Amino acid sequence: MDTVTRRKFLKLTTGAVAVGAAAPMLSINEIAQAAIDRPLPAGTPILVVVTLYGGNDGLNTVVPYTDPIYYSSRPEISYKADQVLPLDAELALNPAMKGLKGLWDQKKVAIVRGVGYPNPDHSHFSSMAKWQTASPAKHINTGWLGRWVDSQPEDSMLAISLGSVLPPLLAGAKRSGSALPLGGLVIPKGTLAAECLQLSKPSKKDSKLMAAAATSMRNLFSVSTNVQPVLKAPAPVDPDLPTTNGGNAGGDSNLAQQLDVVAKLIAAGSPTKVWSVSLGGFDTHANEANAQAELLGVVSDSLTRFMGQLKSTTRSNDVTVMVYSEFGRRVVGNGSQGTDHGTSGPMFIIGNSVKGGFYGEQPSLKNLYKNDLAVTTDFRDVYATVVEKVLKSPVEPTLGKWSGRINFL
Amino acid sequence: MNSQRLETSRLLHRFGFGPRPGEYAQALKDGLSATRTKVLTVPSVDAGAATVVEPEITDLGPRPKPNTKEIVPFSIAMRFQIQQMVMWWLDRMAVSDHGLTERMTWFWHGHWATSVQKLNYALPMFKQNKTLRTHCLGNFASMTKAMLNDGALQFWLDGQDSTVKAPNENLGRELMELFTLGVDRYTEDDVKNISRVLTGYQVVRSNGNVTINQNRRDKNPVSLLGTTAVYTGDSLADFLVSRDDSAQFVAERLWYRFISSTEDMPASFSAKSGFASRDISAAVAAMANDSAMRDEKYAMVKSPVEWFISACRALELTPSQLKTPAQLINYLDKLGQVPFSPPNVGGWPAGEAWLSSATAQYRIAFATWLIKQSDLRALNEIKPASRVLKSADWLGVAEWSARTQSALRSSVNDPAQFALLALCSPEYIVSA
Repeated sequence: MDTVTRRKFLKLTTGAVAVGAAAPMLSINEIAQAAIDRPLPAGTPILVVVTLYGGNDGLNTVVPYTDPIYYSSRPEISYKADQVLPLDAELALNPAMKGLKGLWDQKKVAIVRGVGYPNPDHSHFSSMAKWQTASPAKHINTGWLGRWVDSQPEDSMLAISLGSVLPPLLAGAKRSGSALPLGGLVIPKGTLAAECLQLSKPSKKDSKLMAAAATSMRNLFSVSTNVQPVLKAPAPVDPDLPTTNGGNAGGDSNLAQQLDVVAKLIAAGSPTKVWSVSLGGFDTHANEANAQAELLGVVSDSLTRFMGQLKSTTRSNDVTVMVYSEFGRRVVGNGSQGTDHGTSGPMFIIGNSVKGGFYGEQPSLKNLYKNDLAVTTDFRDVYATVVEKVLKSPVEPTLGKWSGRINFL
Repeated sequence: MNSQRLETSRLLHRFGFGPRPGEYAQALKDGLSATRTKVLTVPSVDAGAATVVEPEITDLGPRPKPNTKEIVPFSIAMRFQIQQMVMWWLDRMAVSDHGLTERMTWFWHGHWATSVQKLNYALPMFKQNKTLRTHCLGNFASMTKAMLNDGALQFWLDGQDSTVKAPNENLGRELMELFTLGVDRYTEDDVKNISRVLTGYQVVRSNGNVTINQNRRDKNPVSLLGTTAVYTGDSLADFLVSRDDSAQFVAERLWYRFISSTEDMPASFSAKSGFASRDISAAVAAMANDSAMRDEKYAMVKSPVEWFISACRALELTPSQLKTPAQLINYLDKLGQVPFSPPNVGGWPAGEAWLSSATAQYRIAFATWLIKQSDLRALNEIKPASRVLKSADWLGVAEWSARTQSALRSSVNDPAQFALLALCSPEYIVSA
């Protein structure tokens, strides 16, 4: 089995011991043992979901830079043709996305255009709920990846979200993914640990929510004993970069930190098949150009760095990244140097196994539907492809009988 | 489960911030009817709340330019004022004798969710908080009018950028979706039209003063939800709030925050009919009397602030006296809930979102920190032999499960650990 050997694992984690000395050796040994006991088998595909909260303006992300209607619709906030990063004769990336452009040139980026769902909802909350539950017509309480978790054997490390609040995306009916905050975890020790474990036992009388409260404490012990020392290890270094400090990372951002942790844990062999990270702030009703460019820069730089970091691991070919937002924005600017809530937008699928290029039809700027872009691709086509090709699972338990697929993998 | 214990526990935890030592046992003695009346009747003077000194929140004026000498004292003052304001409110929640006013102010803060993170000034948020408190049990139309003239809300939703030439939809959409009617109870054309009505507002960011610039207003008639008229902010508020959908929506929000965030609201939920005259106190009273209050299936997870304040009350702690306030805010932040900083205009999440393995860990660390600063008077007064059962009365818990009793039993001679386990137990994190 070409996975993490005990030695390799210790090599990955010793940096922290030498520097921080906060992780006790015993614990490192235990973790090394755990990673040897049940590391993610080599070659197991891993999905990283990146959620952009607030409604990312798709037209200023993948810019129709040769379409005159683009310029006449939003004169205050359009990008000039010589600023953008052309992908073909019609579409270009936002100037802030140089890193992603590099990955595109290496054919590692699929851009799915015009993605949305029927009867677009302009509410952040409803629309995000539809994307995360994958149920646009009916409100339900489970996320699509939560339903996938339900279909798998119980493992608290199977699907992990970075941050202390669990997104609906990972909520299942029986089980849910785990949440992992940034920074180290402090787990109770000694008699307190024993009592906390007692407190987290299931009780017949528990209501659903009390049972969930007990489970969350139980998971604390399993997730944190497994990952804590790894969190303290340095992130893998991108071999292509001259500096060990991330080089082109372009400043620290929360998304970069989240992806750093994910990269570390993937490198360590964490038995996790789904990771969820996020970035907020895309609700650019006013003064959009700077705010959005800054955020897209963070997305592009963090993901480029992340893909670079994976090169120094054995799993760089196994990881697929999926980026989405709850909706795009209105074609016409609103006069506050911003845009109001719109409909469809582009999705990015990134990875060594991805067939780079465009998928789905670019929504026309001429034939708008109620002043908004048409939806040309249903997000369930993308999800179904991901469930089948990345998670290697049947689609039905997660998405029902959905037949649409896209050939990006 | 004993029905009187359950309902009494819910009245104290959901319509207030949990009992102080002795209050739950007293309420059980008084009986449900008397307890319900007491919980719903706001006294004219609240001696506990009166002990909280109001902080001095001032207008700090325009923000100095970056890299100037002036920016440093400005930023320090701003941060200090925001911290003082947070402590002031947490103290009011923790030391008020009667819980309903702060509880309702808290509910409305999550409803008209505005964040100081965008305002970056304390004063407008402080004013908004007072407006919410003034109207928290009053008439919903008056509240809506007051909120349309609230500088913090206007700034938060880009109202000051919305003009006749270029209406901005942010405030108009959320006014219907999140504040008065609920999603899908209007069309996209209504969003465009309501945004025209809401043009012309101007906000002084540093103090929240709102004026209306008539030249920037769209004074043309618009068609809204089938009625064409020339609307003002006030007439718009009356128009929206008087709709049947508004009663439905407010009842739904009350249901979601007070009864259940996981189960659907039954059509018979009496808060809706109780809201017929748009009197919030009547809707709240109807809700407190509703049969759902006795139904075991409607458990609620306490949000981090609710959990923290109920712990302060049980431990007889005053938030601002904790060492240090900055550390307190850090704990609340790690749990994902700091007053005045909701994550977005939809307010904080509810239910299982608060039950991750990460929050479990922070809750243990937070409770440990709190317990160290308490003399645990009430717990120490209970003899070790009867601690397991009687601690349920101390905390206002309807019933400990056998699982929790077993964990508590092994710590009866270690009050600090006992308190920690009790505060982090599923029965305390969740209001049964």
